[in-house]
Amino acid sequence: MTVETSSTLSPATRRAATRPAWPAGTRKRRSPSGNRKKLAFILPAAIFLALFSFYPMVQLLRMSVSTVNSSTLNSAWDFVGLANFAKGVQQGDLGIAFGNTAIFVVVVTVLGLLGGLVAAILLAASTRMSAFVLGLMVFIWALPPVVNGSVWKFLLGDTGLINAMLGGVGLTQHAVPFLYDEHFALMSVAIVNSWAVIPFNALVFRAAILGIPAETFEAARIDGANRWQEIRHMIVPAVRPTTLVLTVLTVVYAFRSFDFIYVMTYGGPGTATNTLPFLSYLQAFVRYDFGLGAATAVISVLLVLVLAFIYARSIRSEEAH
Amino acid sequence: MKLIGHRSSNRGGRRGAILAAGAVLAASALALTGCTPTSSGSSNNSSSDSGGDKTITVWHYFSDPNQVKVMTDYKDLFEKNNDGVTVENVYVPYDQLNSKLISAVGAKTGPDVVVFNGADASTLALGGALAPMDDQWNSFADKGQFPDSVVHKLDGKTYAVQGYVNLLGLWYNADILDEIGVTPPKTMDELNAALKKAVDAGHGGITLSGLPQSQGEWQAYPWLSSTGFSYDNPDAGKLEQAFDMIKSWTDSGALTRQAVTWDQTVPFQTFAAGDVAFAENGNWQIGTAKSTAKFNYGVVPLPVGSEGKVYLGGEGEGIGAFSKNPDLAWKYLEETYYSPEGQLIALNDVGSLPARTDAASDTSISSDPLLAAFATTIAENGASYPADAVPPASVADQQLAVGQVWSAVIGGQTAPADAATKLVTQLQPLLEKK
Repeated sequence: MTVETSSTLSPATRRAATRPAWPAGTRKRRSPSGNRKKLAFILPAAIFLALFSFYPMVQLLRMSVSTVNSSTLNSAWDFVGLANFAKGVQQGDLGIAFGNTAIFVVVVTVLGLLGGLVAAILLAASTRMSAFVLGLMVFIWALPPVVNGSVWKFLLGDTGLINAMLGGVGLTQHAVPFLYDEHFALMSVAIVNSWAVIPFNALVFRAAILGIPAETFEAARIDGANRWQEIRHMIVPAVRPTTLVLTVLTVVYAFRSFDFIYVMTYGGPGTATNTLPFLSYLQAFVRYDFGLGAATAVISVLLVLVLAFIYARSIRSEEAH
Repeated sequence: MKLIGHRSSNRGGRRGAILAAGAVLAASALALTGCTPTSSGSSNNSSSDSGGDKTITVWHYFSDPNQVKVMTDYKDLFEKNNDGVTVENVYVPYDQLNSKLISAVGAKTGPDVVVFNGADASTLALGGALAPMDDQWNSFADKGQFPDSVVHKLDGKTYAVQGYVNLLGLWYNADILDEIGVTPPKTMDELNAALKKAVDAGHGGITLSGLPQSQGEWQAYPWLSSTGFSYDNPDAGKLEQAFDMIKSWTDSGALTRQAVTWDQTVPFQTFAAGDVAFAENGNWQIGTAKSTAKFNYGVVPLPVGSEGKVYLGGEGEGIGAFSKNPDLAWKYLEETYYSPEGQLIALNDVGSLPARTDAASDTSISSDPLLAAFATTIAENGASYPADAVPPASVADQQLAVGQVWSAVIGGQTAPADAATKLVTQLQPLLEKK
């Protein structure tokens, strides 16, 4: 009988009819074959992650506790415990790089978020001009950092456009040492990095702003709200969850920034713009002390992991709301 | 029905397995595609194994058009003299060449021929990227034409030989010197006086590289050694004296502090623009000067006195440790870099000075005032690069340490006395390392 009945039903109805009624509050049990199928689909990504994320991470950890240089890179690595970490601290570069990284991250995060929000508010209206500017921003965002950095190195030179403009309007008599003064150099590279992250932040903020119902704005205007009040009391609260997520993403982006420093200052003058990722590069690929470079990289990874944890929690909290 | 149900379940499982297998294959293919190097190494080169058609890959870091022309001319020369042979020149950025070569060792691959910064010979040999070439070198009939300073050895084994020598000289803008009424300087006092006059007349004084890495160290050494500093016995007082002089240049405006962001190419372009009196730069810029400078110019030896040293640099050429065709690679080196004809190609294209005694005595060098100035420097102030006192395992550390301090002094980050003390402290353990 069951066979007869089921054969007359459509496949969807049949599935619904045969689906067991689960008591409220209990989880559905999946069939083993369904689970296997799902696992099979996860497998490629898992293999990819294991090969290109997990394995390199394990190697990095191994390297950080071993003596690895150009002559031992391709042979057995001698275990030295935390000696590489101690060496990094002892040489004194780590503390300077940590301080530079902290300043760098703060500047990039604050400017990147503020710039992104301002740009998103200005570009929220769907006009031809905003579409054009958005397109331009995507172009800037997609530019390789090496190209971006080279252009900015040229613009910030003594005879570059920025100094020419400052001199032209009478703000300065001498060229501003954007890239070769120890204080200016770090700020200049951080500001250029912020400039590069603004388009991404603006696009995400704009999506959040467009999610606010138009009726809400209309009601506010009827009540006499001006533009500033709309921003202060409607847009800013509405984009708060987005801001949290973007803050974590921008901090991580700033934290691992390497390309702009490599192109614009090479860590100079002296060691004034050495950040943790750049220091790690110098140790591993210029001095060929791969163990020391790996130890610095592990410290960076640990700091980024803390941020990733905060990110995961903020996402979960946002989803719960 | 049970059977049907079972079959259907099986089919679903099989379909899932097929899909999963497909997905795994696709992912593997993508991953492998991602792993495929863009520049071919000898192990990936199927043509080298395919009977008559033979290919050798040559890795280099040249981007300057004149230097690239040397590579193309060598390719044409070798292919013309060897039927069926193809030379594949592969450009790898300077900063990436050593690490790519050392990484390639792990995968037992790499190029047939490597053209690299001669100072890095020991780093590459220690990393296993170069094959010892004692057999080929010892049986080379013209071996006696090459001075010992261009043969790179480690633990008694020969790993590379330089086909030519590159070094620094003092380029001058003759029009500016005429205007300020000075002759090309022969001493440091004359240079300092000329710099002051150039700045007073509204011109730039001198351009050089202050980049905090090996290029900065290469440019710093003549000035540092001019006060008697040497790696044999590092003396903070002599170093401070040299740093004081550099600081006086940046303070007066004779040397822009912007030099800390310049590699060796930018300062010469700045000099070639015509408003700077001097440039510390190399013989490899002769081609650029001819094509760019719209003023009268010349070269004199760097006025670093009898104690001053100028590195005899240039590119080392060696055979890759995992070359599939080392004999053909050696033949390429023999017929291009190490032959009189090949060395004259580098001389004509770039202005590189031949390492061979017979080629170096060519009349085109003695009759050319620019090349003659470099030849004089080789005889009077030429020094091994890197300095003999620096142990092979410490070369990279020493170059970075000096480059960073040099950059910090030019950028005004560190005072000369502090810079000298810091550098000597850093150098002492490096120079002791065996």
